[in-house]
Amino acid sequence: MKTRNAFQHEEIFVQLIREQKERFYLLAYSYTKNEQDALDVVQDSIQKAMLSLDRLENVEYMKSWFYKIVVRTSIDFLRKHKRLQVTDDDTLQFLTPAQEDVYENVDLEHALDDLPLMYREVVILHYFEDLKLADVANILNIKLSTAKSRLYKALKLLKIQLEDVKGETAHG
Amino acid sequence: MDEKLKELEKQYNEVSIPKELDFVVENALKQGKKKRKKRAPQWLLGSAAAAMLFTAGLNVSPAMARTLSDIPVVGSVVKVLTWTEYEVKEETYDADIKVPSIENLENKDLANALNEKYRSEGKALYNDFVAEVGDLKANGGGHLGVDSGYDVKTDNDQILSIGRYTVNTVGSSSTTMHYDTIDKQNEILITLPMLFKDNSYMKTISENIIEQMRKQAASDSDKVYWVKGGGLPDKEVIDGFTAINAEQQFYISDKGKLVISFDKYEVAPGYMGVLEFEIPTDVLKNDLVSSNYIH
Repeated sequence: MKTRNAFQHEEIFVQLIREQKERFYLLAYSYTKNEQDALDVVQDSIQKAMLSLDRLENVEYMKSWFYKIVVRTSIDFLRKHKRLQVTDDDTLQFLTPAQEDVYENVDLEHALDDLPLMYREVVILHYFEDLKLADVANILNIKLSTAKSRLYKALKLLKIQLEDVKGETAHG
Repeated sequence: MDEKLKELEKQYNEVSIPKELDFVVENALKQGKKKRKKRAPQWLLGSAAAAMLFTAGLNVSPAMARTLSDIPVVGSVVKVLTWTEYEVKEETYDADIKVPSIENLENKDLANALNEKYRSEGKALYNDFVAEVGDLKANGGGHLGVDSGYDVKTDNDQILSIGRYTVNTVGSSSTTMHYDTIDKQNEILITLPMLFKDNSYMKTISENIIEQMRKQAASDSDKVYWVKGGGLPDKEVIDGFTAINAEQQFYISDKGKLVISFDKYEVAPGYMGVLEFEIPTDVLKNDLVSSNYIH
């Protein structure tokens, strides 16, 4: 019986991954900011997931369960490769001012990247991946109330930033 | 605000998807399936987890596999790696099955045939073990162990001989050996019959082995073989060893000698273990097709 469940899980899992691989890649990329590393994270996440597929009790949770694995694998990856993050966004921006002008909407783009990770991931999971806040909380291993307050804070931060951008544009 | 979020979402989604993603995903799924099949059911999982992860690492991470394969396990070109390891560790149930894989053979058909054989045999061994443990548990428990792995007997410019052993432990243990010998230059699998002009090699080799057995038994009273004059009174030798099989297990030693192998219990009492007899090339020279392999 157990084995049969496991095999059913496997089928559903394979389908989920094939259908949603780009979503998972984007999520991984939002952490690693690097193509090759994001690919590695996706690969490792699939492997980890398949090894513990039997432990997943309810297939309905599979999607958020897998998001959780991707998030954790990404964070593990960042921890292991801390040196890659030595240059924070501010420094980078400071050092490369000329490039910013090349992109359209550059400030909007940075608006998300500038957001500290803890806020960014809530926004991404909730708004871009359309996950319920309760699922987001579960995926990030935080309380629902924490997820809520982070989301509000994130929106607030974004709003401030976005309004600043708007103000600048108006002046310009 | 909504519009801003939409814009951010658009940016988020606009990150270009590398074309390798499909490949990476499919590969990970394939590897994952492989790993899952070899995975012990929940109730068998114990301290095996760490070993599993290591094996997973080997099979999953190309970097790790590369690192390992760069270690000259055997020679420079054709390599033998542990493909998969099945491991179960419980108080009275023990399994450690290492499945080898031959890499870098140009002759893909040969490599595939051998590797498929190794994998399916390894898997069968594991499945049998799990089934038996299940039976034992249902019937009040017991002891069971299986230990399987491989030895590279010879690896030189010409010859690769791999011996795979399986030790079954149920009270006492039994050991079986299976050898595969490959001509690395021509990339062919060497069988015992193809080394010889005709079937008379069986008689030649058997006679030599019996002679060796008698000599050993005469000089060492601890050694007993199931042949007349092999250390036991003749009348106690019933069903003794008379001749090797046409496909007797063998390998070719580094010095180009033919070595015949017998499983535990095959030609002698269990305490003698797995037995090997090196056949002097002089004895064989009239039967050999050439002195290419055996010299």
